[in-house]
Amino acid sequence: MKNKYVFVTVLLLVLLLTGAGLTQLYVKEETKQQDSEFTVVTSFYPMYIAAMNVIGDTPGVDLQNLSEPQTGCLHDYQLTPADMKLLSGADVFIVNGGGIESFLSDVAADYKNLSIVNACEGLNLLSEEDEGEEHAHGDAHEDAAEEHIHGDTEDTHEDGHNHGDVNAHAWMSIALYKQQVENILEGLCRIDPKHQDAYESNAKEYLAKLEDLEREQQSLKEELSGKHIVIFHEAYAYVAEDYDMEISYTMDLDEERQVSAGEVADVMGAIEKNDISVVLAEELYGKDMGDTVERETDAKVCYLDTLTRGEYEKDSYLDAMRQNMELLKEAFTE
Amino acid sequence: MIEFFTAWWSYGFMRNAFIAILIITPLFGILGTMIVNNKMAFFSDALGHSALTGIALGVVMGVADTTLSMIIFAVIFALLLNYISSKASASRDTIISVFSSACIAVGLAILSKGGNFSKYSSLLVGDVLSISKKEIIYLILIFAATLIFWGVAFNKLNAVSLHRALAKSRGIRVKLIENIFAIFIALIVMLSIKWIGILIINALLILPAAASRNISVNMREYHLFSVIFSLFSGLLGLMISYFTNVATGPMIVIVAAIIYFATYVYGRRNA
Repeated sequence: MKNKYVFVTVLLLVLLLTGAGLTQLYVKEETKQQDSEFTVVTSFYPMYIAAMNVIGDTPGVDLQNLSEPQTGCLHDYQLTPADMKLLSGADVFIVNGGGIESFLSDVAADYKNLSIVNACEGLNLLSEEDEGEEHAHGDAHEDAAEEHIHGDTEDTHEDGHNHGDVNAHAWMSIALYKQQVENILEGLCRIDPKHQDAYESNAKEYLAKLEDLEREQQSLKEELSGKHIVIFHEAYAYVAEDYDMEISYTMDLDEERQVSAGEVADVMGAIEKNDISVVLAEELYGKDMGDTVERETDAKVCYLDTLTRGEYEKDSYLDAMRQNMELLKEAFTE
Repeated sequence: MIEFFTAWWSYGFMRNAFIAILIITPLFGILGTMIVNNKMAFFSDALGHSALTGIALGVVMGVADTTLSMIIFAVIFALLLNYISSKASASRDTIISVFSSACIAVGLAILSKGGNFSKYSSLLVGDVLSISKKEIIYLILIFAATLIFWGVAFNKLNAVSLHRALAKSRGIRVKLIENIFAIFIALIVMLSIKWIGILIINALLILPAAASRNISVNMREYHLFSVIFSLFSGLLGLMISYFTNVATGPMIVIVAAIIYFATYVYGRRNA
């Protein structure tokens, strides 16, 4: 009789100690000292790379990314306790905006002192319904009235799930990404004027690199413009915009997307009907569908990087974009 | 170092989670004992699955607070399940299985329309950050109601679980008691499903009671150990999940499962 109570006590104690011990081991590896005077947190990969280039090695500024590099596109990402901890110690939170960060309204409500920089602010984003039909984003200076309308819809205090209205994958277009970098620069300078000079010179350097990239893109654009394509991820709508390509069909394949049989038939039909030669897809979520397309039709599937995951390297945006260009060139010249 | 281990208290979501676990795990422990005794494990599992349909119906009908539609649906579901399984000729587990899979199918069909199921996927594994003050108030109410119910009707409930026909002959209103019990299970499962998750909520209801049954000899011990195991795994699981960044629900269930296996081995050797 007594033995039982002893057993239970011992069992629970052992569990408690093992649990605490293992946790302690784990935490020791994880803990990073956060004693810098100014902490910037970005919401996900492309924002992190942009902010990384603007901030550079400015002393006293600490840059952290919210989601892990493998999280990919945020879509319906949920904050983990670790994310909440990170945000509670942050001064600025740089987000892409456009509804990708569906948790943003919660964050804004929970951390009233946290300044939020919305990189899509004032950008002329594609809407999800008529993507590909809008005019090209050749120059960065869209007319002001339109900018204001879009600026309002991406207000940071909006209600969570509106990923359905605008296509927020703006970083896929180099022209728009440049504006995002400028927005981040502006936001950082406003909130942390002390390091303004450093931010500005870093951003200038990065923007120059992006302009080089844009010039490379321009020569490819001449070859690709006017071509009809099918895209398997709405992020590629911006690629189509950049190269002036026509989108015949958009199928949005991403995390946990269930495709119905009718939809597959629609895609095949669209490919046949418009004589599509190239399909743009994402490796991770579009592979199965891409294989099916290659088996059933003559179209070639080109797996482009959506730049939502990768190494934390300063030049990874530039490298990935160049690689995408190579892939596109290959796909269309074959 | 101490500061490091107490830092969690400064986060509102952790406070909410902590309080919710303090309230809900003893409840799980108490209700679990009777669920295990009545062989209703499958029943509570099906109830968990009905949450999916409840939410889907709420979304279709445009209810702002899907928790409400979920609770209403689960209560109806529980009563209907009780009714049909007392009438139909097929065995109880077949009926439950039919209901449970039909519920999942309807829920999935509605929620995945337009390919947006990922919005609701947190329902499957649970999200500890979703506990709000409002939910804690609900939990306190249901906690009090359960204690009252247990105090008033435990003996009857126990009699029903031991021998249904005998209980009936003694003038106990068997059906009423069973239905009220089912409603309580439905309410508690629905109030905690958002942060524990459909896939594992049943484990939390069953494991502490099952572990306790392994080593208990009377009802008092059975309840005592069940509540202790439940509370302990809830709190330890929450803490481990906080420090290691693992989802909370699964961590709690892992702790509870370890306790179950330990008591199983102990119970076998001392039987």
